[in-house]
Amino acid sequence: MAGNFWQSSHYEEWILDKQDLSAKRKSDLQHLTEEEYQKIIILFANFIQALGESVKLRQQIIATATVYFKRFYSRNSLKCVDPSLMSPTCLLLAMKVEEYGPTLSNKIMTSCNNLTKGKFQYAFKQEYPYRLVNVLECEFILLEMMDCCLIVYHPYRPLTEYCAELNDDSILPLAWRIVNDSLRTDACLLYPPYLIAIAAMHLACVMLKKDCQKWFAELSVDFDMILEITQLLLALYDLWRDGYDEKRDIYAILEKMPKAKTNPVAPRS
Amino acid sequence: MESSQSSKRYEKIEFLGEGQFATVYKAKDLEDNDAIVAVKKIKLGRRSEAADGINRTALREIKLLQELNHPNIISLRNVFGQKSNVSLVMDFMDTDLEIIIRDKSLILTPANIKSYILQTLLGCEYLHNSWILHRDLKPNNLLINKSGTLKIGDFGLAKFYGSPGRQYTHQVVTRWYRAPELLYGARIYSTGVDIWACGCILAELLLRNPFLPGETDIEQLSTIFSALGTPTEQTWPNVKELPDYLEFKPIQATPLDQIFSAAGYDLIALLNSMMQLDPLRRCSATQALKMPYFSNSPAPSQGSELPLPKSAKEPANESRPNKSAKRRKMDPLDGGEDSIKKFLKF
Repeated sequence: MAGNFWQSSHYEEWILDKQDLSAKRKSDLQHLTEEEYQKIIILFANFIQALGESVKLRQQIIATATVYFKRFYSRNSLKCVDPSLMSPTCLLLAMKVEEYGPTLSNKIMTSCNNLTKGKFQYAFKQEYPYRLVNVLECEFILLEMMDCCLIVYHPYRPLTEYCAELNDDSILPLAWRIVNDSLRTDACLLYPPYLIAIAAMHLACVMLKKDCQKWFAELSVDFDMILEITQLLLALYDLWRDGYDEKRDIYAILEKMPKAKTNPVAPRS
Repeated sequence: MESSQSSKRYEKIEFLGEGQFATVYKAKDLEDNDAIVAVKKIKLGRRSEAADGINRTALREIKLLQELNHPNIISLRNVFGQKSNVSLVMDFMDTDLEIIIRDKSLILTPANIKSYILQTLLGCEYLHNSWILHRDLKPNNLLINKSGTLKIGDFGLAKFYGSPGRQYTHQVVTRWYRAPELLYGARIYSTGVDIWACGCILAELLLRNPFLPGETDIEQLSTIFSALGTPTEQTWPNVKELPDYLEFKPIQATPLDQIFSAAGYDLIALLNSMMQLDPLRRCSATQALKMPYFSNSPAPSQGSELPLPKSAKEPANESRPNKSAKRRKMDPLDGGEDSIKKFLKF
C-alpha cells in the first residue's frame, strides 16, 4: 500500500490505546475469560484465512480483512454481529478496497458452506446459516463502524525492506510467518505496522540464533514497544505450546460466547 | 440502524446534477448548524453489480478521500445509506471551473488564471505525493466555492500508483484531457497523465474554449499533433513501442506563443513543460510550482477577487446558519426578481 502512513487514517484513528481496548471488551469478558476471548478471535482469523485461501487471494487482502474484523470487534461486543457472518463480510470488503478484480461473492459464500461443514466442522456443528444478502447488509454496518477508514497498512512491506537491508535471506521467510501470526494477536490494533515488522524480525533472529544486534541497535525506535509486541507474540506461542487444541476446545468456548438475542438476519427459505 | 437516521439528517434543497455513477443534491445538514453540503447518491448498479454490495466506484472515493486532507481537495464529511445504496456527504461547492470558463460574461484576468492553475497544481502535488493518480482531471471536476477556493473532486477513477510492474487501464480521463501515451494504449503510466490534463486546463483558461477537442480517440491524437507537432525519436524516444502506436503524417509544431499570443513568456514556459508529448519530459507538479510564472507578477488573485457566475452568487448568505428560515420566507420573491424590477420601472 502506498501513501503516507503518518497522515493515514490507520495512524490517526486506528492505533488504539490498550486501556480503551480492554474497556470496550469488558462486557464480553463477563461471559468469557481473556484467554477464551482470544481463542475465539483466533478461530475467526483462521476462518478468514481459510476463506481467502479457498479462492486464492493474496495475503495482503486476507490481512486487511483480518484487521477489519478486529477493528469491528474492538468497538463492539461479539453479540452485536455473529462473527461467522462478519468474517466473509470483511473479506468481501477487503477485496474491493484492495482492487481485486472479479466479483467472487458467490464463491465466498460457497466456501463458507463448505468450510463450516468440512475443515471447521468442529467449531460450527451446524449448517452455515447466512446468505449473500445477509453479508451485503452487514457490509455497510462494517463500513460505518470503521468510520469509513478502509486503507490498512501492513508489516509486510517494511519487513521486506528491512530484510533487504540486513542482507540475509534466511530471516524473511520466518519473520513473514511471525507477521502472519501477529494477526492472531491484538498487535495490529495497538502498534504501527513497521514496529510489528521489527518485532517479528527480532524474534526470527533469536529463533535462528542470528546475531543482528548491531542493526537493531542502530534503529531509532521505541524498544519498549518492540518488547510489548514480542510479549503478545510469545503469549500466542505459549497458548499453542501448552496444548491448546482448537478442534477439541473451541466448541465449548463458542457455546459460552454472548450471542445476539434474536438472529439478526433470518435466512430466506 | 444509524443509517436511517442519517438520511433524515440531511434536508434536500435542490437537485444539482447527474453523472454516470451518481446523482448529486444540495442539502442542509440539520445536525451541523444547517451547514450546506453536497449529497452524492450513488446509483444502484445492474443486478450483477448489486451482488457485489457497496458500489466499487463509491468505495474507491470513500477510501481515498478518507486519507486525504488538503485545502485543494474536496473533503468527505460523512457516509450514510445501507446495502448497495450509498450516499457520500461532501463540502458544498458553488460552482466549477467549466461553468466559469464557459460563462463569457466573466472576465478572467491573468491573476485569476494564475490562482486557478496554482490551486489545481497544489492539489495535484499533494495527491501525487500521496501516491495517488486522479486520472480524470478536467474543468468540470475542479470545484470552486464562494470564497474562491478550488478543490479537486470526483475520485471515482483515482488510483494508487507506484507498484512496480502493475498495469492499469488506459481508458481513463475524459478524451479532451487525455495524454498522448494513454491514447497510444500505454498500460504503465504515471503522474504525467494528470499533468497533461492540467496543461489542457491552463490552455483552456486562456482560450476560453477546449484546447484539444477531439471527436474520437484517433482524432484526439491528430488534434494534439496538429497543435504540438508529431512525435519524433528525438522528442519522444521509443514512442513506437506503445501498444496502439499509429504513425501520423509529420506536422511541425506551432510555437505555443503563436497560439497563445496574449500570454507571457513565463506562462508559455510552464505550459510547454506540462504539455511535453513524452511523459518522461513532462514536469512534475512540484517542478511546475517552482517555475518563474508563479513567483512573477501579477500575484495570483486572493479568494474574493475571483469571479463567480451569477448562479453561484445568488442568493447571498446562504451558507450562514440561522439565515435559512428567513431565506425560505423570501423565496417566493427570489424567483420574481425580474418582476420586481419591472414593477420599479413604473
